[in-house]
Amino acid sequence: MKVVTGVVGNDIHVVANRLIDISLQERGFDVFNLGVNTYLEEFVDAVIETDADVLLISSLNGEAEGWCRDLGILKNRFDLSKVVFMIGGNLSVGEVSIDEIIPKFKNYGFDLVSHQSDLNEGLDKLEAFLKERS
Amino acid sequence: MSKILIDIGSTYFKVCEKDKIEQYFRNFERNIFDDFQNRCGDILSQYAKEDIHICSSANGGLSTLIIGLTHSFSLKYATNIAYNAGINIIDTVLYSHIDEYTPPLEQIDVVIIVGGIDGVENIFDEKLLHYIRQISYHNIVYVGSDKSHDFLKENIENIFIMQNIITDKLKVKGEELKSYLTNLYQQDIMGKEDIKQLYEFTANQIYSTPYIVNSSMGMMYETFDVADPFILIDIGGATTDIHYSRDLVIDNIVSESEYDRLVFKKLGVFKSRDSLVFSAKNNEYVYELLEYLNVTENILEEHSQNATRVLMLLSIFLVLYKTSLHHNLYVNLQLEKLNSIIFTGGITKILSQEDVDMIVKFFYKKLFNFNNIPTLILDKEYKIWTLTMLKGS
Ligand code: B12
Repeated sequence: MKVVTGVVGNDIHVVANRLIDISLQERGFDVFNLGVNTYLEEFVDAVIETDADVLLISSLNGEAEGWCRDLGILKNRFDLSKVVFMIGGNLSVGEVSIDEIIPKFKNYGFDLVSHQSDLNEGLDKLEAFLKERS
Repeated sequence: MSKILIDIGSTYFKVCEKDKIEQYFRNFERNIFDDFQNRCGDILSQYAKEDIHICSSANGGLSTLIIGLTHSFSLKYATNIAYNAGINIIDTVLYSHIDEYTPPLEQIDVVIIVGGIDGVENIFDEKLLHYIRQISYHNIVYVGSDKSHDFLKENIENIFIMQNIITDKLKVKGEELKSYLTNLYQQDIMGKEDIKQLYEFTANQIYSTPYIVNSSMGMMYETFDVADPFILIDIGGATTDIHYSRDLVIDNIVSESEYDRLVFKKLGVFKSRDSLVFSAKNNEYVYELLEYLNVTENILEEHSQNATRVLMLLSIFLVLYKTSLHHNLYVNLQLEKLNSIIFTGGITKILSQEDVDMIVKFFYKKLFNFNNIPTLILDKEYKIWTLTMLKGS
């Protein structure tokens, strides 16, 4: 399975990105890592060029909302119905309840949302989701 | 026996013998061959054909239409390769919206189709064929996913298939397309009456000038006191070229070339003077800049030596401005990181070191609030275009 990943917006926190790349490869995914400072359009373009199954976005600096709220618009522009969209990291600034964050990002068009949670747990969820879908 | 190097530009001929460079303003009443023969025939007769090297930017180059799957990868990669091959005229079509583009009426020299890493299926369909049927072109090439080869070969006559320019890791790999385009340029020159005749003078291949200049970027250190990252600005009569170190760009192109090229078709001081003036008048800094140069707006309508000088200064300002900001240009350069700028082309004959200092200072002060500017080098002797020609042969 092909996964496009990277860190969205003007976000330079690179450590998680390296870990995610390695973990995904260990789990047998074919990884296309766009690295830090990647715009949403570039993510979607990479999914199209690689015909990826999953787009896994990280956001650490708290700006996820601003950079991702247009996902719906991009999803309408192309046929991406088979792609799984996931986001994780620190999805907001300060103490915001998870019950508020998850629906918000699902509303933007993400299938899986993981806020301040463990990476392996998140990737387990992703694999379960993919299994269920197939 | 020594060599003689000749550059046929849109406004000047440059002739370089040993250490001496002469330049001749074109006489547009005559065709290139006659004009050249008339001015330089005597000098040329002293050299064997093997020792005469010619490059040319006078024939405008190839027109290219690129049809690609996405802006961030296929179109960006192919555009990058085409510019580096010396091509000036590039139009792009985003495949998902192909039915919204009006097909160009004029003949296109080469159509490039690209999309997908190898293994990706069902990218192109009837929409592509429909569009292709409406345009007229000389050459058509495909440099995308291998899974589309059969479909395209079956449906598009004479399509030439090459290695994918997008690697399995989504990076760019452009050598094959670049050399194809460079060769096509040669054939194009051969096909153009004006230039074809120039082969009467030389036994060597005639190259495109931008290609020659780009190839000399890595040799710059030997001749000039430059420090990386640097850019080279070549302001000619018709176009303005920027050749830049890749270190200045943040994007996901991982290219094998260290130096890329970008073209501004409409910022030349002679042949595209009107659009240069138009562009200047619409710039937010223009009045401040004219005041800084101690002239009024009227200078833009004048045809004096000083007007040409001011236009050249404006042209420098505009190319820096356009590459530094988000303008939907396909690249933006981090000019705040720049260590050196080299200027070449016709401007070095008119502008002084003080002139370029002054304009670059204004630019850095206004846009970055910097008081220090990169080292500025004027290639007054046109050493740059001789570097590759002397090395390569
Ligand atoms: C190191 C660091 C920096 C370094 C980054 C160096 C680099 N190039 O990576 C520097 C100093 C440059 C920096 C800068 C900034 N930082 Co900082 N930084 C940190 C710090 C201390 C550690 C980050 C880190 O590397 N952690 C280790 C990795 C492994 O963990 P992680 O990033 O959390 O990722 C894990 C999980 O989040 C998860 N995960 C991540 N993505 C995804 C995706 C999915 C799908 C899943 C399932 C899981 C998942 O898995 C990862 C592995 O377990 C954190 C605080 C902290 N302790 O976390 C702040 C922190 C991330 N930074 C923060 C901020 C605000 C900034 C700045 C804006 C500060 C400023 N005002 O200048 C700038 C932003 C710069 C920019 N443009 O991005 C805030 C973010 C606040 C928020 N989101 O609410 C934090 C949380 C600090 C804080 N508590 O305020 N930072």
